[in-house]
Amino acid sequence: MTRSVSDETSSRQLDAQTETSTPVRLPAQHLAELVSQTCARYTRQHAFTAVLPNGMFGNLSFTQVAELSDQVAVYLREGLGLAAGDRIAVQLPNSLSYPLWAFGTLKAGCVLVNMNPLYTAPEMVHQLNDSGARVLVIVDLFADKLPAVLAQSKVEHVVLVRITDLFPALIGFIAYNVMKYWNRIIPPCSVAVTSGIEALARGATLMRERNVDPATYTAGLGPSTLAALQYTGGTTGVSKGAMLSHGNLLANVAQIEDRVAGSVQHGKETALAVLPLYHIFAFTANLLYFFHAGARNILVASPRPLSNLQRAFENYPISWVPGVNTLFNGLLNEEWFRDYPPPQLKGSIAGGTALHTAVAERWQEVTGTPVVEGYGLTESSPVVTLNPSAGYRTGSIGQPVIGTQVRLLDPLGDPVGSGEAGELAVQGPQVMLGYWQQPTETTKVLRDGWLLTGDIAVWDSDNFLRVVDRKKDLILVSGFNVYPNEVEDCIAKLPGVSEVAVVGIPDSRAGEQVKAYLVLKPGVSLSAEQVREHCRQSLTTYKIPRQVEFRSELPKTNVGKVLRRALRDAEKQRIHEESAVAVEGGSRG
Amino acid sequence: MVSQTEQLLLALMIGVIMLGMGASLTWRDFRRAFKRPQAILIGFASQYGFMPLIGFLLAVTLNLPPALAIGLILIASMPGGSTSNIFTYFSKGDLALSVSMTTFSTLAAFVMTPLAIFIYGSRFITSEISVGMGSVISGLVVMLIPVLIGMFIRRRNANVGAVLEMMGGILGVVIILALIALWVPRNAGLLAETSWQVYVAAIGIGAFGFLFGFIASFSARLGLRRAATISLETGIQNGPLALSIVLLSFSGPIADQIVFIPVLYSLFIVIISSIVTIFYRRMNERLEQRSVTLL
Repeated sequence: MTRSVSDETSSRQLDAQTETSTPVRLPAQHLAELVSQTCARYTRQHAFTAVLPNGMFGNLSFTQVAELSDQVAVYLREGLGLAAGDRIAVQLPNSLSYPLWAFGTLKAGCVLVNMNPLYTAPEMVHQLNDSGARVLVIVDLFADKLPAVLAQSKVEHVVLVRITDLFPALIGFIAYNVMKYWNRIIPPCSVAVTSGIEALARGATLMRERNVDPATYTAGLGPSTLAALQYTGGTTGVSKGAMLSHGNLLANVAQIEDRVAGSVQHGKETALAVLPLYHIFAFTANLLYFFHAGARNILVASPRPLSNLQRAFENYPISWVPGVNTLFNGLLNEEWFRDYPPPQLKGSIAGGTALHTAVAERWQEVTGTPVVEGYGLTESSPVVTLNPSAGYRTGSIGQPVIGTQVRLLDPLGDPVGSGEAGELAVQGPQVMLGYWQQPTETTKVLRDGWLLTGDIAVWDSDNFLRVVDRKKDLILVSGFNVYPNEVEDCIAKLPGVSEVAVVGIPDSRAGEQVKAYLVLKPGVSLSAEQVREHCRQSLTTYKIPRQVEFRSELPKTNVGKVLRRALRDAEKQRIHEESAVAVEGGSRG
Repeated sequence: MVSQTEQLLLALMIGVIMLGMGASLTWRDFRRAFKRPQAILIGFASQYGFMPLIGFLLAVTLNLPPALAIGLILIASMPGGSTSNIFTYFSKGDLALSVSMTTFSTLAAFVMTPLAIFIYGSRFITSEISVGMGSVISGLVVMLIPVLIGMFIRRRNANVGAVLEMMGGILGVVIILALIALWVPRNAGLLAETSWQVYVAAIGIGAFGFLFGFIASFSARLGLRRAATISLETGIQNGPLALSIVLLSFSGPIADQIVFIPVLYSLFIVIISSIVTIFYRRMNERLEQRSVTLL
């Protein structure tokens, strides 16, 4: 950083206190322009490298990204006859095709609908129908879901993509056939589709024959135009599409750039893209920000098992790792990673869910580089706050990014007193337009331009924020608030604990009581009493888990967030069943 | 007893497979192996401490004739064979550790092998056993040069490396199966005449090696993956080196008798290693599966 930390913090504090918003300068008028400019700047450098678990790889240069995504745009507009604003559902794991279809959709002036490849057929149907997608781009690994999905949706065209598309021919051939005939993970496809490679070729032919300039497709685009429908709410209930405009996403790119400027060297970085690009965190961090910074993104399709990442770390000089707590924790538990941490690593960015202090400290100790925490939501493109890489604070989500105002509200919607915890509300250029065709849902979270996040936070000194917890995860023990994050953070420091989740479970006397679920490292044994004894050293009595359960794994979302709700539901179900048995027994007696 | 074709196949097998093995390795794998010297030391101790002893005890308890006893002690005193690297690779073990151990025990063979044979073998035979420098060195070269080439290729182009690795694996399996298929029918008569004591000795030496190597390294808290690697390294001896030593030190009918157990061992070790490898592979995959749930 060129500026000193104290200057920066004091000026930011002023921003928040006076609530004058600094205007954010957008790097381009729309995302298609951002892509074209970036590709023109870095031309023959590597933009994306997809790495398979055995080390086989394929590269795309910035120039190739420009040309091939133009072909996608022409295929969509000329080949399929789509119009600006039409929705394209892209359901791909991290692979060379993903950036082409995402950028191509934007270059066609269409709206990108990111879809999780692991979705079940009913989930796909819901999202396709809700968004009104006309085209579905899907990876061949899940082609078996197509007949059921197409029967119930209005999708007109299906493009079937292989993970190995655009790999060197022989390597792609070998890798594809190993997957098909040895691993047998590619099901046969029984519906009419266009292959990803055919679609590109068709786009190229049409561009030549009709002499089209794809730039004409984006003539009407501006910062307020809808760019993507990013579905969210999988952990809270029915899935809704957050409407993110070109301006929202561009602003977030500029906001990240402002915060990390000085530590990211344009055109010289290598960023690991192991979080799925269809998720807003990797979408903005890897696909938009690091791409824009001229970095080489290393795409890994599946981090399961984590040894899949070994070749990526060995073969490429990875300098940045955007990740989530479970990824950092998991890597620290891998011996190959601990023994030989990536030598070129500069920093890591944690988001998605709370970063445990124990994990952050060990990451610093093992890699010699910081993992800085940020905070964001799908509805805010996503970054709201981020720690500066110099002068970062462990346990804090950092300071609001430029042009962003944050307020902490009490249950009535009024700002809380200083030093008090309240619901975090955000205003800024990255806040979504609203939920797609859901005005009532929109008014629940967007009030007078403020986005209500449902997260409880508190101001630390110097304009740093700390998230205490999700509003709905709060545990109420005899009227006392217990924040699961605090208890989890404490238990995670206990040696031998691999993972931990804390939830509130119903209790007849206290209303709720604290229950901890632990996953231990192999070969470790701990008793419930040892866990409680450890907690007693740093937590007040009512925060100590009354129950401790040891498990072999915890339920998680596709990006590795622990699903506390699933644990709570299972617990309620168990209590319900037990009381049913008790009633049955009673009537018999 | 071992034909020219078989010897050629063996050399070819080792060369092609080690090229593939090398293509799966980087320098940091070796640095990691040497970060925990206790693994290499325990491997060394079980290789030259335990194995010759168990060879001697088997020879005495089974009351083997002197020529066969010498053959057993000879194979027990051998350094690790490069086949151990192949089985370690297939079992998803620590390949760099395996290669390091093979290299280390082979270099030590100049001193340790004659020493072990002197200690345990003098009861059965008085003549001197010499370990041919040439055969040891050429064995190492055949093993290490392809590894280095493989590593170099992977560094230059990971795609070519991955293809070599895959081909090495496939060819390795094919050649191992071909060797068994060639050897067994041709020696069926001989196998039928052999007494059960000889079978127990030839099979037992490898099996005890696997067992002891695993228990010793597991007790030393080296973890399951390294325990499996050291186990394979201990049980799998350098058979071809034993054959060349016999041919160098003896001649006539006595040589044929001495070489019998090393040959029988070499045949059966492939079979029991395959079984043990399947077991270890499942174990190592389960260890990997644990990390699946992390994300």
